[in-house]
Amino acid sequence: MGGLLVATLAVPFLAALLVAVIGRQSVPSCRWIALAAALLATVMAGILAVSFEVAPAGRDVIPDQFVTQWQVASGNTGLDVRFSVALDGIGLWLFVLSAVLLVTSVLVSWESVTERPALYYSMLLLLTGGCLGVFAARDIILFYIFFEFTLVPLFFLIGIWGSEERWYAAVKFFLFTLAGSVFTFLGLLAIVLWDYRCQGTGTLRFDLREVLANVQQNPLPEAWQWWVFLALFAGFAIKVPLVPLHTWLPLAHVQAPTAGSVFLAGILLKIGTYGFLQFCLPLLPHASAVAMPWVLWLSVVGIVYGALVCLAQRDLKRLVAYSSVSHLGFCMLGIFALTPLGVQGGALQMINHGISTGALFALVGMLYDRYHTRQIHELGGLSRRVPWLAFFMVFFTLSSIGLPGTNGFAGEFLLLTGMFQRAFGGGSGESVAALRIIAVLATSGVVLGAWYMLGMVQRVFFGPVREPHSGHTSGSGSNVKDLSWREVLALAPLAVLVLAIGLYPKYFLDRMAPSLGPATAAAAQWTDRLIGPAERRAAVPAPSWLVVENANRVE
Amino acid sequence: MDRIATLLVIIPAAPLLAVLLIAVTAPRLLRSVKLWPAWVTVAALLVSAVASWLLFQEIRFQHGYVKPQSPYYERVVVLWRWAEIADAMWRVPQPQQDASTAETGAIRFAVDVALRADALTAFMLVTVTSVAFLVAVFSIGYMAGDRGYWRYFCYFNLFVFSMTMLVSASNFLLLFVFWEAVGLCSYLLIGFWYEKPEAAAAGKKAFLVNRVGDFGFLLGMMLIWITYGTLDFHASAVVHPSQSLRQAVDSDNFPPPGSKIEPGVLSRAPESYVKGLTGLAICLLLFLGACGKSAQFPLHIWLPDAMEGPTPVSALIHAATMVTAGVYLVARCTPLFVAVPEAQLVVAGIGAFTALLAALIALTQFDLKRVLAYSTISQLGYMFLGLGAGSLAGIASGMFHLFTHAFFKALLFLAAGSVMHAMGNVIDMRRFGGLRRLLPWTHWTFLVGALALAGVFPLSGFWSKDAILGSVHDRAHELGHVSGTPPATQPETNHAAAEAAQHISHGTWTWLSPAVASRCYQICYYLAVAAAFLTAFYTFRAFFMTFYGELRVPAEAGHHAHESPPVMVVPLVVLAVGAAVAGLLLDRSYRHTVEHLPEGRVSTANAVTDFLGYTPQLAIPAVEATRHAGGFHLDIAAVSLLLALAGMGLAAYLYLEERTEAEFLAALFRFEWYRKLVDSQNLIRLRRRPLVARIESVAGRLGLRWLVRLAGYAVLSVVWLLTVPLMIGYFVSPYRLSADRFYFDELYTWLVVRPLRGVARLLAAVDMGIVDGLVNLIGRIPVWVGDLMRALQMGVLSFYALSMALGLLIILWVRLMWGT
Repeated sequence: MGGLLVATLAVPFLAALLVAVIGRQSVPSCRWIALAAALLATVMAGILAVSFEVAPAGRDVIPDQFVTQWQVASGNTGLDVRFSVALDGIGLWLFVLSAVLLVTSVLVSWESVTERPALYYSMLLLLTGGCLGVFAARDIILFYIFFEFTLVPLFFLIGIWGSEERWYAAVKFFLFTLAGSVFTFLGLLAIVLWDYRCQGTGTLRFDLREVLANVQQNPLPEAWQWWVFLALFAGFAIKVPLVPLHTWLPLAHVQAPTAGSVFLAGILLKIGTYGFLQFCLPLLPHASAVAMPWVLWLSVVGIVYGALVCLAQRDLKRLVAYSSVSHLGFCMLGIFALTPLGVQGGALQMINHGISTGALFALVGMLYDRYHTRQIHELGGLSRRVPWLAFFMVFFTLSSIGLPGTNGFAGEFLLLTGMFQRAFGGGSGESVAALRIIAVLATSGVVLGAWYMLGMVQRVFFGPVREPHSGHTSGSGSNVKDLSWREVLALAPLAVLVLAIGLYPKYFLDRMAPSLGPATAAAAQWTDRLIGPAERRAAVPAPSWLVVENANRVE
Repeated sequence: MDRIATLLVIIPAAPLLAVLLIAVTAPRLLRSVKLWPAWVTVAALLVSAVASWLLFQEIRFQHGYVKPQSPYYERVVVLWRWAEIADAMWRVPQPQQDASTAETGAIRFAVDVALRADALTAFMLVTVTSVAFLVAVFSIGYMAGDRGYWRYFCYFNLFVFSMTMLVSASNFLLLFVFWEAVGLCSYLLIGFWYEKPEAAAAGKKAFLVNRVGDFGFLLGMMLIWITYGTLDFHASAVVHPSQSLRQAVDSDNFPPPGSKIEPGVLSRAPESYVKGLTGLAICLLLFLGACGKSAQFPLHIWLPDAMEGPTPVSALIHAATMVTAGVYLVARCTPLFVAVPEAQLVVAGIGAFTALLAALIALTQFDLKRVLAYSTISQLGYMFLGLGAGSLAGIASGMFHLFTHAFFKALLFLAAGSVMHAMGNVIDMRRFGGLRRLLPWTHWTFLVGALALAGVFPLSGFWSKDAILGSVHDRAHELGHVSGTPPATQPETNHAAAEAAQHISHGTWTWLSPAVASRCYQICYYLAVAAAFLTAFYTFRAFFMTFYGELRVPAEAGHHAHESPPVMVVPLVVLAVGAAVAGLLLDRSYRHTVEHLPEGRVSTANAVTDFLGYTPQLAIPAVEATRHAGGFHLDIAAVSLLLALAGMGLAAYLYLEERTEAEFLAALFRFEWYRKLVDSQNLIRLRRRPLVARIESVAGRLGLRWLVRLAGYAVLSVVWLLTVPLMIGYFVSPYRLSADRFYFDELYTWLVVRPLRGVARLLAAVDMGIVDGLVNLIGRIPVWVGDLMRALQMGVLSFYALSMALGLLIILWVRLMWGT
């Protein structure tokens, strides 16, 4: 099956090449090639997901599956770099989601993109390829290459096909994230160098699992961990984005073309949370535990602040963009609650947000195609005009505000319960009091979320019909068409995923749990120790290396 | 699957199938068959209702065979596992706990989609599906010709599906899922005519206010999880420890010996319920959720606005599918509440207060449906008062009132719908009148409903309201006799039960003394009695204004105002029969013989109480000990009946023919006399008086005009000093308070909504200006540094050489330091 994973990774890159070569001659062929590639990638990713084995309960199993490794630089040169790809529970669903969102993106762009289509579709395919690579890479150099590579196509997507202020937005997005990821690179390098110092082979290793195993045996000194954590944090927190590092996001979203927004919200933000789960927590458990209250504060501020700012928005796309800030705050809250429920809920919420918000951006784009405005006050009563669009909007809105039965509820409930367990499960001291405030505040985000989303739906879709007078539609607006089959097909897979995760989250959780447990165990253990004795705390048996490390400290 | 499990699945499955069938076929395929969605709905709900009654019979049958050691019956059906997370929590035994019974070790988070059948569920299912079926039949006629005919029935079925699932869910999470789902359905149905801005706004308001309640429920649920380590109601057994296979434990299925039993939240040993602050917090948070759903103070504001939906939907929401969910939740969680009697007092207090508050508001409303809406809030307050009384009789009387209320309130709403249907959708009672000739069937059925609501003997409302008042009175009485002898009304109960009764009456009060609690319950009782008087008054005020006086028909009705078609009248008649006789049939406390049930139980002379007594959550000793061998409170019944008749009489006096007295009273309570007294016009009139004018002229001649002016200013300032409180008093005059619904909407708008919106606008500005500005500022730094650097690049070769050498030196220095 390893071959299939490599093939899935190769599909978008090859298709991008093909589009670039053929697309010059015939314009429609680009989108058909892109669609075919997207469908192929989705099917292959789906096969991978179905054949992904639920690992047995043993905790020490490294649940990487579909492993492929090719040596790029051998150990003889003192440098061990590999082309190493695999999937684990943390990356699996994001990998699948990337492929699914490619289908949506291509279908959404079908008619709205007429300018330089060959370049456009090849950029879209390259972007997908980069995202797939990020979640599959098991070599730190390879990860970093993909990590940076995703910036380039999106930079062009925003800069060329965006709205009025596209250049400013693109540059800001690029510089902001690049600045962060330089720090991330330094942080990763520091970890690799520490690994180099601790093992005696004299080879600079970059394989994630080998480095991880070694660093867990010989953790970084606590003072160092803190600095390395800050470096990694800089890059990942900007990607997420955590307040106050979020200001590039609304700008980029508003200016980006629809497909760009879908991908940005659906996948690119998740690279940040993915980075925290895959690198920060397992490699730097002590620093993560120390930073936990701070990160939680930032997350909860993001939840409430993002929701309140949403309330004041007049631009549909800006509103959905700020709702991303709020929802990603939920993800980070769950992950850094460092309880099994919280971590799994947070990881599930990553997927959920990608589905719901991706679909919402696609819908806003469809609305924009029809009315050429995104101003909420210019629209009203549209469910009379475009009932199916209204139906899907209400559907994904409900999923976004976490209505039970949809995916949003499964994630939000688990992560909030996890956070609650962390805050009220025991312990003492001021930090616990702060955690309690955080837990209750975060739960109130559920009410605020419903307020701004339903308010938006009410103003745009209900009430008397109000349509912009000028613009490309004729005055009466009666010739505005409802969703076409193409658009329904763009949304349908996401709607199916919404219900599937909502009704049977166990299937998705079971595949994530074996990876999430070991990744967060050490940090959770440290947190328990820092917060103090607890009557009911997260059940994380002490990993053997931690006991060893502790014994050393006693001496 | 056995019969009970099959029935349990069929009941929600039928409306769900109807939803899918209508959604798939009605918009395109069978668009020409106009009544297709209606027939599908009626068929599905008929199946559901019949299945509910069959289930009810099955449960009744099972009650004859319950075992003495587990004097209840429950059946749990697990459909599939929703989520499972291993090792979610780790427990350390607390010092005061016995190590052998304490739950220790790793606990998994496991949530099943599990349904349950027991007395409480069967009772709710019967109420919900029967009323929903009749409302659906009524809707066939009422919604005829509407553009969204299929959409209406689709939502309708979804609503019934959600509600049946809500009452048969067997864990908190599943209950919460459908708790929110009924919120969604009400959102869709209240905002059904979404072109009307009020309807869309009312839908959103309902959803958001409910969300505030759900926020409490969510917190309560999470607290339950970390306190009890499970969310299941039922106990489960680990059947194969090696494979850790869990199996729900119910009355049909005792676990094999040796298997470890993990108790559920609501099925554990009585002493293992958490008391103290945690217990109180759990109860109050759950109750906050119930307040949201059941429209209790302070979250009652959404229900009157919900009138914007089609009238049958109001009937559905008010009678069967939504507002009863909160009552059900509190009844289901009885063991949690029994452990913390203060929480029960809060439930009773909020219930009684809401009952009175809503009744006061209903006095002055002119919208017929609004009067009924406030009466719903008021009656729900009665139900919570009953539940808060905490005894078996109290809880059962709350459920009994839920049952009778479902009938007469559905009846009243459908009759109001019939009036609206005839009046061209006009519902303002000032615009029509004397409709009794025009709408004879509606008139008579409305009369039955109104009598039942007012609590007139022998209609159903009388019995259930009396049961509630009686149980609250008993509770206050019991608590008042702490130091004296225990109540002598329970000779049959054994010693242990008597001990338990002592326990419940005064043993577990933590923050209040039983004497204070007794006083509180007494106040609740008087509030409820006052509300009973007001109920009779406003109900008959609406009745007389609508059906009596001279015939007036608004212009919207046209010339063809007529009685509704049979498809709408028949459900009215059926409901009227139910509303008339249900109480008399079920409450047999007027008989003097004491009956005995199987397993040596004493009948409480109330069929509802006897039946519900087999619910696992009500068969716990603390509740069971309060089982009284039926007593009819003649005094309480007489008082409430007299008050109801007085209310009716007053309404007849004020509204039956001429309404001059009513207008006089309204003016009196509007403080208009006070306003007239110090009107500024009076001053001008005063100055024009000849006497005053003469004084002025005389004073002018004497050169004392300044004195007169001074006196004038003195008078003026006194008048203004009087006027300011007057203006305030005018706005808070009893009449205005009632007519403006005690300004709750305005209060929330000004205290919560507007400040939050202001903060939101401020934050949005801050986000654009300050946060982004700072980021841009930081972004400038490299540019400045670049400018500085540019200054260094002067093109002098020796300078570059020097800087290179310096750099190398620094690197060497660092390397050397590093080495040592």
